[in-house]
Amino acid sequence: MDRRSFLKVSAIWTGGAWIVGVPTLSANPYRELTDSEAEIMDALADAIIPPGEFAGGKDARVTRFIDQQIGRYGYLQHDKELYKTCLPALNKNSRDRFGAVFTELSEDRKEEYLKAIEAGEYNNQPTNSDWGSYTPSSFFNTTRNQCMMGFYGSPIHGGNKDYVSYRMLGLY
Amino acid sequence: MKNKHVNAIVVGSGAGGGVVAKELSYAGLSVVLFERGGWVRYAAHGNDELTAQRSFPLACFFGPDNERYRRVAVDRQGNERIVFPNDWAYHNNAACVGSGTVNYGAMGWRFMEEDFTMKSTYGHVEGSTLEDWPITYADLEPYYEKVEWEIGVAGDDYQNPFAPWRRKPHPMPPFPHNTEAKLLEQAAKKIGYHPFPIPMLRNSEPFDGRPACVHVRNCVGFACPVDAKNGTQNTVIPKAIETGNCELRIHSQVVKILTDSSGRAKGVEYFDRDGQKLTQTADIVILSASATETPRLMLNSATNLYPNGIGNRYDWVGRNLQGHAYCGADGLFEEEIYDDFGPGSSVAVCDFAHNNPGIIGGAMLANEFIKMPYAYSSGYRPPGSARWGREHKEFQKNNYRRNASVRGPVQEMPNFESRVEVAPNVLDHWGMPVAKISGFKLDEDIRTAEFIADKAAKWLEAAGAYKIWKNIPGTGVSGSQHQSGTCRMGNDPQTSVTDKYGRVHEVDNLFIADGSLHVTNGAFNPVLTIMALGYWVSDYIVKEWERGNRFQ
Repeated sequence: MDRRSFLKVSAIWTGGAWIVGVPTLSANPYRELTDSEAEIMDALADAIIPPGEFAGGKDARVTRFIDQQIGRYGYLQHDKELYKTCLPALNKNSRDRFGAVFTELSEDRKEEYLKAIEAGEYNNQPTNSDWGSYTPSSFFNTTRNQCMMGFYGSPIHGGNKDYVSYRMLGLY
Repeated sequence: MKNKHVNAIVVGSGAGGGVVAKELSYAGLSVVLFERGGWVRYAAHGNDELTAQRSFPLACFFGPDNERYRRVAVDRQGNERIVFPNDWAYHNNAACVGSGTVNYGAMGWRFMEEDFTMKSTYGHVEGSTLEDWPITYADLEPYYEKVEWEIGVAGDDYQNPFAPWRRKPHPMPPFPHNTEAKLLEQAAKKIGYHPFPIPMLRNSEPFDGRPACVHVRNCVGFACPVDAKNGTQNTVIPKAIETGNCELRIHSQVVKILTDSSGRAKGVEYFDRDGQKLTQTADIVILSASATETPRLMLNSATNLYPNGIGNRYDWVGRNLQGHAYCGADGLFEEEIYDDFGPGSSVAVCDFAHNNPGIIGGAMLANEFIKMPYAYSSGYRPPGSARWGREHKEFQKNNYRRNASVRGPVQEMPNFESRVEVAPNVLDHWGMPVAKISGFKLDEDIRTAEFIADKAAKWLEAAGAYKIWKNIPGTGVSGSQHQSGTCRMGNDPQTSVTDKYGRVHEVDNLFIADGSLHVTNGAFNPVLTIMALGYWVSDYIVKEWERGNRFQ
């Protein structure tokens, strides 16, 4: 346990009975996404907004934006199930297709895969039950838009760390 | 609990209702001004684009909320779906004190003379219920002047050769142009257009105790950080309250107009912020709840005497819903033309608002307000551009400061099938049927939009854009922040909802003062006209009241 986690957990212990369910002591800073889901989301955010001279989706904390917004105080609670279902499906579908999960694909292969998803090429296939009631292309459209919100919107919602997108546009 | 009887109830504190509350309370009438939302301040939302009124992808900070409000949207195929306020198909305007006038772009246009006489100017249009207004520009001119001087408009119409006549100049000098607008101003002159500074309901210098604009980028869609944008919430509503005659009752949702056995309005039923159902009675009721909520309220107030809803004997309540068929063009430039000097929109031309050969009506054209970063990420690029990935990010980085857009609100031809109804099976938080919106634009509107977009493209070309593409609207029903037309005024009770003073034909003491009254919606942003109608309707009520008419 590093010092920060220790302090956090002690605060919860001394904080009293209003805490329902003490979080596990992992380094996962998220409330809604598991380690594995967050890792997929990071990779997805970086594919949608790639790092370069300015931070990409991952370093701009787009995943934190998504996690915050699908949580109980967020504006996108209705999409929690979408992420819980489709992030794992994105990995599994990739393994079935390419022999490697999404997070392990090369940048080029990730782009190619997502373009195919966007075009609806995976919408009708035998393994569709992995995607629950969602289609791969509708998931992509939703998350593409929400990644843009996380990257270009106000940092108060969890993303756009240090106003990185504003700096990229010369606004700060 | 029983509320004290008052002289007048005004439902809705936006552009129309705020003005009416002030005018009636100044004349000594006791007034209750109902508002379903509350006060909104800049500090509470700041520069948060994701909840601002421009694109609200997360929620509508200015209301209404997604928890209690719903509407039903009907698409061209007739499929119905339930929509939330931050869905475009909801056609939201704000729900707070001042409503859309808190966060608007604040263009303060007078309609032109032809905008009031569309039928006699252009003749019959196939599929349209196009009609002249029962009042003319000359009738409304003194009231436009009142808006400009009481609420505050900065402008100089003498630079616009197409401007309608006026008695008095604007009270404040016009806004200066930023780099982009200067470039467009020069370009317009080069190709024979007649550019001029847009009249703005915003302070170009200190006015009426409030400061001058500080030119932030987050203006349209946001409240003003220094209160230099003039809405009803910081002008007429505080003045109404100061008289001691007007009570502003916030967080109060009016659900029904109450009528007596003879059919007169006797008050309204509403829910307060604690969910208590209450009654307020009055001598006169004025509806200023918007072109969606005003007809909804009338339809939800059916009685034995008014089986199809109040004022709806001839099925005109909720009909002719209009907004504008927005069109235009975008261009990319080699050099940076962005200087971060808000509000951004400041130069316009009226060359194509009317008198276009072979075209019915037209639109003014103006440069666009500053685009916020998220909005820019999801539009404003040539068709076929990357929507994500490296190419998308590069486009953002390279072009945010190198683009300009010109847009025009094409005057739509009203049609009977574009409408607001109520959905009997879909109820809101208070158990009332929600508004159902359906309809379409006519082919004529799209034809005009193509004509106007071409003029916008030529303007950008003259300004030196190296890549230009046009925006043509889809055929879906318009409304949103320019919603109007659903309770049109007219002289014939069989083809209109109110008389020329906004009085509902069947009900002597029930008035309307909002965009619902518009017979046609002009080639311009409609807010100044809605405010002017607020003064016009009030003036009639006050004159009648002063000569002893109690509308009984």
